Amino acid sequence: MKRLAVPILAALSAITLAVSIHYIFVKAPIQYTIMDGRLFQSSLFFNQKIFYFHVAQAFMLFAAVGLAGITSAIFLKTRNPKWDDIAAAAVDVAVLFGAVVLATGSIWAKAAWDVWWNWEPRLTMSLLLWLILVGYALVRKFAGPSADRVAAGMAIFGMVGVPFIYKMVGEDSHPPSGADGVVMNLGAEYKIAFLMSVIAFLLWFVTLTIMRVQTTRAEREARELRERGLDLGVLQ
Amino acid sequence: MNKLIVILILGLSAVAAAQPGSAAQPPQPGSAAQPAPPADQPPPPPAPNDARAACSAAMNADPAFAKSIIATVDAKSDAKILEMHQQAAGQVAENQRHVIYAYAAMWILAAGFVAFMWWRQQALKAELAQLRRDLDAAAKDSK
Repeated sequence: MKRLAVPILAALSAITLAVSIHYIFVKAPIQYTIMDGRLFQSSLFFNQKIFYFHVAQAFMLFAAVGLAGITSAIFLKTRNPKWDDIAAAAVDVAVLFGAVVLATGSIWAKAAWDVWWNWEPRLTMSLLLWLILVGYALVRKFAGPSADRVAAGMAIFGMVGVPFIYKMVGEDSHPPSGADGVVMNLGAEYKIAFLMSVIAFLLWFVTLTIMRVQTTRAEREARELRERGLDLGVLQ
Repeated sequence: MNKLIVILILGLSAVAAAQPGSAAQPPQPGSAAQPAPPADQPPPPPAPNDARAACSAAMNADPAFAKSIIATVDAKSDAKILEMHQQAAGQVAENQRHVIYAYAAMWILAAGFVAFMWWRQQALKAELAQLRRDLDAAAKDSK
């Protein structure tokens, strides 16, 4: 069953992704006002189609950072390496989602605001969070024997930043979050498309995290075997 | 005396023929000495400078006329600006290029991550198998 988990989750993710694409491009309408046979005004432009993947992946970024922070805290308390493996895998997945969110957000900003980047609070905080996650990966690779504990501290630090990203918005750029935000006030056709997208990326996030945990555990096993080989004098 | 009259008539007709408004030469724009148009043809349009001066004078003389002229010009200008706005709004509204870029970026990054993980897992599998073989061989040798 464990072996089948990744293929089953990947297949489910692909199916829900296909369904979400159908909802995004076919079902979710774009509201144009046509006057005298010409487009006069639109409350939702075509570039709004980026929203469904951009925001859903931002949610997965927050989930991955939250998972990394919580498992890192448990690791620091228990010193059980299995929690550290999960944290390391979650951060790698968070780096991917962060890169996608920054890239798609920048492209959407160009389409909607006519700028690639504008140093608005949410953009700046998102970039800082992504740099912290990249820093975590670099610490794990180069910081030596205590790297896992230093990295765990960084993961907790990154998790603390997530609520700030969620709440911080600039004027005339990102819409507000929470009860007055876009997500909570979506129309029914848009909400289904967005929820399908969130489910698809949640499954994708779980699939990638499990795959990455398997790799991290294999890396740990290889490291332990190498150390044993060095102790026995088999390896040089 | 008769001779003088004939010379005077010839001289006057030569001067008349040399005039810019004469039938031998086309009328010059703005010229005051234009020939009267034939009765069956519409009068030629006034020269632009004359028309502008006449219009300015008429607008200064009649504020209602001035208002109507300004309203006509404003309506034409508004229509042009509105058309420009409509074109710009249409370009933003139907912009598919950036949506394609965003989706492409997402798939490329995801594919790169999955490819990297697959490559790393294959490398680790091979490394683990090699390490186990070496350690087993060492354990057998020590026995």
